[in-house]
Amino acid sequence: MRSYITYFLIGTGFLVLVGFITKTTTPKYIDIPKNWPKPVYDFKNNPLTEEGFLLGRKLFYDPILSKDNTISCASCHLQATGFTHVDHDLSHGIEGKIGTRNSLTIQNLAWSKTFMWDGGVNHLDVQALAPITSEVEMNETLENVIIKLQHSEKYQELFYRAFGTKKITGQYTLKAITQFIVSLTTSNSKYDKVIRKEEKFTEMEQKGYDIFKQYCTSCHKEPLLTNNGFKNNGLPIDKDLKDIGRMKITQNSRDSLLFKVPTLRNIEFTFPYMHDGRFKTLNEVVKHYNSGVMKSSTLSKELLIPMNLSDNQRTELVSFLKTLSDKDFLFNQKYSYPK
Amino acid sequence: MKTKFLIICLLLINSFFGQNSDSLALSVKVKWNNMPLIIDSEYISKNNDTLKISQLSFYLSNIKLVFDDESVFKDNKSHLVQLKDLNSLNIPICKKNKKIKTITFSIGVDSLASVSGALAGHLDPSKGMYWTWQSGYINMKIEGISSSCKTRKNGFYFHIGGYLAPNYALKNVTLYPKSENLELEMNLAKLFDNLLLSETNSVMIPGIKAMELANYSVKMFTIK
Repeated sequence: MRSYITYFLIGTGFLVLVGFITKTTTPKYIDIPKNWPKPVYDFKNNPLTEEGFLLGRKLFYDPILSKDNTISCASCHLQATGFTHVDHDLSHGIEGKIGTRNSLTIQNLAWSKTFMWDGGVNHLDVQALAPITSEVEMNETLENVIIKLQHSEKYQELFYRAFGTKKITGQYTLKAITQFIVSLTTSNSKYDKVIRKEEKFTEMEQKGYDIFKQYCTSCHKEPLLTNNGFKNNGLPIDKDLKDIGRMKITQNSRDSLLFKVPTLRNIEFTFPYMHDGRFKTLNEVVKHYNSGVMKSSTLSKELLIPMNLSDNQRTELVSFLKTLSDKDFLFNQKYSYPK
Repeated sequence: MKTKFLIICLLLINSFFGQNSDSLALSVKVKWNNMPLIIDSEYISKNNDTLKISQLSFYLSNIKLVFDDESVFKDNKSHLVQLKDLNSLNIPICKKNKKIKTITFSIGVDSLASVSGALAGHLDPSKGMYWTWQSGYINMKIEGISSSCKTRKNGFYFHIGGYLAPNYALKNVTLYPKSENLELEMNLAKLFDNLLLSETNSVMIPGIKAMELANYSVKMFTIK
């Protein structure tokens, strides 16, 4: 009789333990369009779950990440504009302080190898540390964010659902944010539909696409519209900001004035343009590449010969760029402020 | 059958919770020359800098012991050692059994960890030892004040790190213990004797300066 009780107790204990370990989460997968390259992000080390995504989305929209609880990720990364900060050349953060660069978009980052305009961040999981700790953005520490989150019963519950523990750590916080960020994929623009042979370009867009393929795709490589590289695109240096770009990270003079090649997806809505937001319109951007490129020792070799496009051709190019807008992405409720 | 099962269970429990009295630990003694270093106490370097240390944190990784019989023990973890946290100054290693010939360890975190995203435990980025505007771990953080520093509030800040060549700041140390107790001495005077705080007082990015400090930092360690 006693032996039965012993076995029963051990068995029950074992089942409880297994129950803890296999706490149910709902697996989630991002859409990888046909003919796209393999994502760079290693999902094995941070398997996506519905619960992790929802927690990450809540964190993304919550000003609790900033020192005085006023600034959230969404303050500078608004969905309707491709998750960037429109209308500001330089993004501003806590107490109205102004940064030195124009905030980047958050789109298809599962395919990105490096992050930030200078590529200083080498992994998506640690990207959020930069804005959280920046004195002019959120001016907070991860350590303190965790203390604040740990005090919230709501967050304890959400972390438990996502990671099976109410003990909140920096690792889980960052991985949850990544689960949301990495899910922000856009692949349903008119351009994508044309590639999939579901729609057709107008004559003007087609001409623009032909120009694009001739002059732009060496850096803005399809289908992601970026080659993940760094280039000096011939912008004269801003005398006040004196931003040397990638050289700040590598301390190699060959990287002077090199900045990340950004994706062009949803470019119609992500103005202003360039790392310091100096151009307000796509026309200004195209004009720069057409005739405004400043020569220097690190200038991208692709820009050595001027494009010399006619006025009509420039209009055609801009009309193609507008086919990169994906309204299904920009207005997808799943990515919006959680109600 | 039943007894066997119970014994296995007990052994498992024991190995999880059991603290073995004859276990070997590396204990770190932080010193200023012959005196134990005390936070916010005043010290004077060979170069006549009067200084106080307010923070000392560093990673001690990849501990490797070679015993007299040439057998080897390896621990690939990274341990965060912080002067303000007494527990962290004592690093459990393995069972005490054989005479140790050499001990090797790294000061800092290897480059693989610096490209692996958000890690857990001692490597959790919330520990304040991860750079933010540029990825990578800070191998060693020394902060304090000195009247020699013409900086804000006379502060000096050394955040030594860097995971990319040629500024890969991880340093390996090999020492030859003479006793059975692994008492690792870390003498901060050995670092500050190489510096002029009026000139070198803020090193917080990877680069040549950080590499210099990393080289000096190796000289701080001795073992009894």
